Amino acid sequence: MALFSAFQTTFLLALLSLKTYQSEVLSEPLSLAPESLEVSIDSARQCLHLQWSVHNLAYHQELKMVFQIEISRIKTSNVIWVENYSTTVKRNQVLRWSWESKLPLECAKHSVRMRGAVDDAQVPELRFWSNWTSWEEVDVQSSLGHDPLFVFPKDKLVEEGSNVTICYVSRSHQNNISCYLEGVRMHGEQLDPNVCVFHLKNVPFIRETGTNIYCKADRGDVIKGIVLFVSKVFEETKDFSCETRDLKTLNCTWAPGSDAGLLTQLSQSYTLFESFSGKKTLCKHKSWCNWQVPPDSQEMYNFTLTAENYLRKRSVHLLFNLTHRVHPMAPFNVFVKNVSATNATMTWKVHSVGNYSTLLCQIELYGEGKVIQKQNVSVKVNGKHLMKKLEPSTEYAAQVRCANANHFWKWSEWTRRNFTTAEAAPSEAPDVWRNVKSVQGHCVVTLFWKPLSKLQANGKILFYNVVLENLDRPSTLKLLSIPAPANGTELTLDQCSYQIRVTANNSVGTSPASVIAVSGDPGNKEVEEERVRGTEDGFCLSWKPQPGDVTGYVVEWCERPGDPLCDLQWKNLGPDTTSTVVSSDAFRPGVRYNFRIYGISTERIPYLLEKKTGYSQELVPSDNPQVLMSNLTSYSFTLSWKDYAAESQPGFVRGYSLYLKSKAARCLPGSEKAVLSDDSICCKYKIDNPKQKTFVVENLQPASFYEFFLTPYTSVGEGPQGAFTKVTTPDEYSHILIRVILPMIFSILLIMILCYLKSQWMKEKCYPDIPDPYKSSVLSLIKSKENPRLTIMNVKDCIPDAIEVINKQEGTRKSLTETEPTKPTYLYLLPTEKSHSGPGPCICFENFTYNQAASDSASCGHVPVTPKAQPQLGLLTSSENGPKALGKNYVNSLGEIPAGETNLNYVSQLASPMCGDKSSLPTNPPEPALCSEYKTQMAIPMGLASPPSITLLDEGEHDH
Amino acid sequence: SDLRFSLTAPLCLLTLLLLPLSLGAPISPAEPISQAYSLALYMQKNTSTLLQTYLQYQGSPFSDPGFSAPELQLSSLPPAAVSFKTWHALDDGERLGHAQGAFLALTQHLQLVGDDQRDLNPGSPILLAQLGAARLRAQGLLGNMAAIMTALGLPIPPEEDTLGVVAFGASAFERKCRGYVVTREYGHWTDRAVRDLALLKAKYPG
Repeated sequence: MALFSAFQTTFLLALLSLKTYQSEVLSEPLSLAPESLEVSIDSARQCLHLQWSVHNLAYHQELKMVFQIEISRIKTSNVIWVENYSTTVKRNQVLRWSWESKLPLECAKHSVRMRGAVDDAQVPELRFWSNWTSWEEVDVQSSLGHDPLFVFPKDKLVEEGSNVTICYVSRSHQNNISCYLEGVRMHGEQLDPNVCVFHLKNVPFIRETGTNIYCKADRGDVIKGIVLFVSKVFEETKDFSCETRDLKTLNCTWAPGSDAGLLTQLSQSYTLFESFSGKKTLCKHKSWCNWQVPPDSQEMYNFTLTAENYLRKRSVHLLFNLTHRVHPMAPFNVFVKNVSATNATMTWKVHSVGNYSTLLCQIELYGEGKVIQKQNVSVKVNGKHLMKKLEPSTEYAAQVRCANANHFWKWSEWTRRNFTTAEAAPSEAPDVWRNVKSVQGHCVVTLFWKPLSKLQANGKILFYNVVLENLDRPSTLKLLSIPAPANGTELTLDQCSYQIRVTANNSVGTSPASVIAVSGDPGNKEVEEERVRGTEDGFCLSWKPQPGDVTGYVVEWCERPGDPLCDLQWKNLGPDTTSTVVSSDAFRPGVRYNFRIYGISTERIPYLLEKKTGYSQELVPSDNPQVLMSNLTSYSFTLSWKDYAAESQPGFVRGYSLYLKSKAARCLPGSEKAVLSDDSICCKYKIDNPKQKTFVVENLQPASFYEFFLTPYTSVGEGPQGAFTKVTTPDEYSHILIRVILPMIFSILLIMILCYLKSQWMKEKCYPDIPDPYKSSVLSLIKSKENPRLTIMNVKDCIPDAIEVINKQEGTRKSLTETEPTKPTYLYLLPTEKSHSGPGPCICFENFTYNQAASDSASCGHVPVTPKAQPQLGLLTSSENGPKALGKNYVNSLGEIPAGETNLNYVSQLASPMCGDKSSLPTNPPEPALCSEYKTQMAIPMGLASPPSITLLDEGEHDH
Repeated sequence: SDLRFSLTAPLCLLTLLLLPLSLGAPISPAEPISQAYSLALYMQKNTSTLLQTYLQYQGSPFSDPGFSAPELQLSSLPPAAVSFKTWHALDDGERLGHAQGAFLALTQHLQLVGDDQRDLNPGSPILLAQLGAARLRAQGLLGNMAAIMTALGLPIPPEEDTLGVVAFGASAFERKCRGYVVTREYGHWTDRAVRDLALLKAKYPG
């Protein structure tokens, strides 16, 4: 600025001197002032467009001029912009200049003026400012219309992060206007009473459809607003790159920046400019463009890619040599020729790149999906490569690609060809094994062989040749051809002395022969079977080295033991080997595998050396034995499980566990306490010998309850938990009792039968019929007499308690105090009684209640009964109140026992012996224990032999 | 294709409703009145949805809850609001003439709003479909009313361009406002048409 003012001072001085000079030469000074200034408005861009011209120029004169432009806002004194605009001016040329306002032009009145000066070295004398033009006023507000409120700028498009100024113009002074950005109130500054300005800083991108900004008056529903379209920042294009494939077209690619975020307003355009040729092309695609290489083979290229949208322009540059950007086309005419079993030749052609260029080609050979050979070859036009060391009868893939050898840029795409090499004769003899059986004098040899691997077969095996040579007659050969894919054959030979050769054949030739011999001795001698322990990795087998010539060993086993097609496997081992590990995925836990180890003699005859058996993994026994119990005694029983197949368990049975439950708290010797899975406690016997299949449980208690359960165990554990068997030991004497009771039952039965058969006799002997008086012969006798009243007395007619006093004989009287029981005298009712003197029939009491006094000194006493005198009877009968008098008399008589000669004895008639000897009665006196018994009294029918007594009773009857 | 499909159904309805017109003037006005009334009722059910959908896509303040700016009007679109006395005093010709004029203007304005929104909210097929459907229904009702007027022997007013040339310079915000007024007035006029047709239905029973 200081420089400018210094320049201005000197310029003014020069101008003054020039003026004096001009006034002398010209009549008036030359005025080069801007004229016809017009100002127009671009509302969309908020630009003021100025146009003017300079009239006072000579024809065809061109001068450099500078124009100073002043822009003021609201009033002319408020100049907000001053700018010097330099340009070359011609006569009457319309000059244009634009100015973009930060504030929307509608928000305030703007005024523009300008002046000009010549700034040309040709006429340094004219370097002075012209007069200012008059102020040109730009007032958009006046043309807005009559709406009460306006908001500006309309539909402005800005980049994210830029600053925007917004204003409203209100026509009403009274109304308070509030403005909102997306619903948030904004605070602005009052530019004049009607205009308010809002400065938005760093505007964010909100949505593609724009940001609403609106203002409304407090009163009324006036809403006015604008939509501010905020775009995302237009990004730099990346990864700009050009290349050619044929030296005719350049293909340029780039990664376009992300979308500007606006839907329609901002569309990007891409332009490619090459500075050496000065050519330019508008790209049709967003991310690539093609450029035609001119035929004059321009080598260097300097490209500028310009990406542009409404708001921003971005450029990237790229300088390169065309030959350094060659991306060759994929090789063509690719063939694989002369394919033999081990070699093949690949040929191809390449598209030429320039006249003298060489291409580097890369060949890759794939076998089974992997690269097995890689080779680089230089090629002008035709390529050729020999691939060696190939495997016969194998599929290969060969592929080739090329790149510029001098200036590597990029490889071409691969061109790929598949081919298969030719077959060759099988390289290895098949692995052969045999199984020899003797059937009805013939030797049945089953041959097995393993198919050759792909590498060994060298092609498709078509058949196997089996040549049989009888060792006894070496000249006789027999040839069998077995078509593939057989893996064995069965031969029935008349004798077992043969040498067998097996070869595999493909279309080209025969493999080496595999030789095996069979001899008359099958060699299956008895060999002790040994147990081996398998692991996850397999079975580790070892054997004793054989003395003598052994050409090798073979281990043989079945992968599916138990199956008729046991899937025989074998393994050939060298003569120095004495151990091997046999592993197979087919080995299952709990399956027993048997291995046989053969030695191969020099005559190729195998002979059995050892047998091994084992489990790859032992399991617990799968089932428990069926246990039979025998020999049950009071103290022991015997268990046996002879039928149990220990061999078929999924592990070697090491022994058995016997669980015994009893009520006894302690375990018997030989057993120990064990806790079962259900927490019950029992005793466990361990039987260590797996061959022991019987067990005697001893030392038991008689008549006790026991439960037992037997399970085998292997190295892994015991068999499944099963049910306990219940057993009760017999009583110690029960067997004796049985011996006694049974014969007794028999004898009783026998007696009963006998009794039944002799029942009549028995009846007569033991319980003869009681004579029925009605049926008696006496009845007829009575009936014959004249007395009609005389009938036989019924039992029911009897009056109980009829007492008859019996006289006691003097001689038999004894003192009551005597301990010796007195012999009672009983009345014998039976008419057959003859020994008794006196009146005869009498009644006897045996109720000891009446003998209370008598039993004072003795537990029991029987008062001897003596026959009663007749007068007492008469007393009884004469008495008015029979029973009363009787009682009184009885009591008295008790007190007078020592003096009285008579006694009472009461005998129940029912207790009177009915059966038995009358003589036995006195000898079997009533037992003392019976003393307390009271025998009901009942009148005993009188014997017919005592008519007076009968009479008496009759009278008694009347007394009642 | 969604848009097209949603437009097909009202189109079929329209064809059906226009059928009596094409066959010549029916003698009794009751049938076209009844048909127009049914259509108006059907339209009435969707007008508030259209307005809400429209506002939802315009951003604040339009999408603010409870937004209403009754003073916003369009000079090219006659307002539906009328005093009850005035409305009731209308004769058949005036009543149908007002409605006819309003729905003619509405069909044109709905077309304009549809175009505006295709520009401002291109990613909102639902709104565009609803605007298209509303326009077709307004056209359908227009046809029905013409049939009623023919039946009543009233002159059918000629179709005229209600929009003129002023419509194209509007700013985005003005276009949003314009769309609001149009969808709002579409609802108001549909409500009024239901009342109009109910009155006519009572006057000309079948």
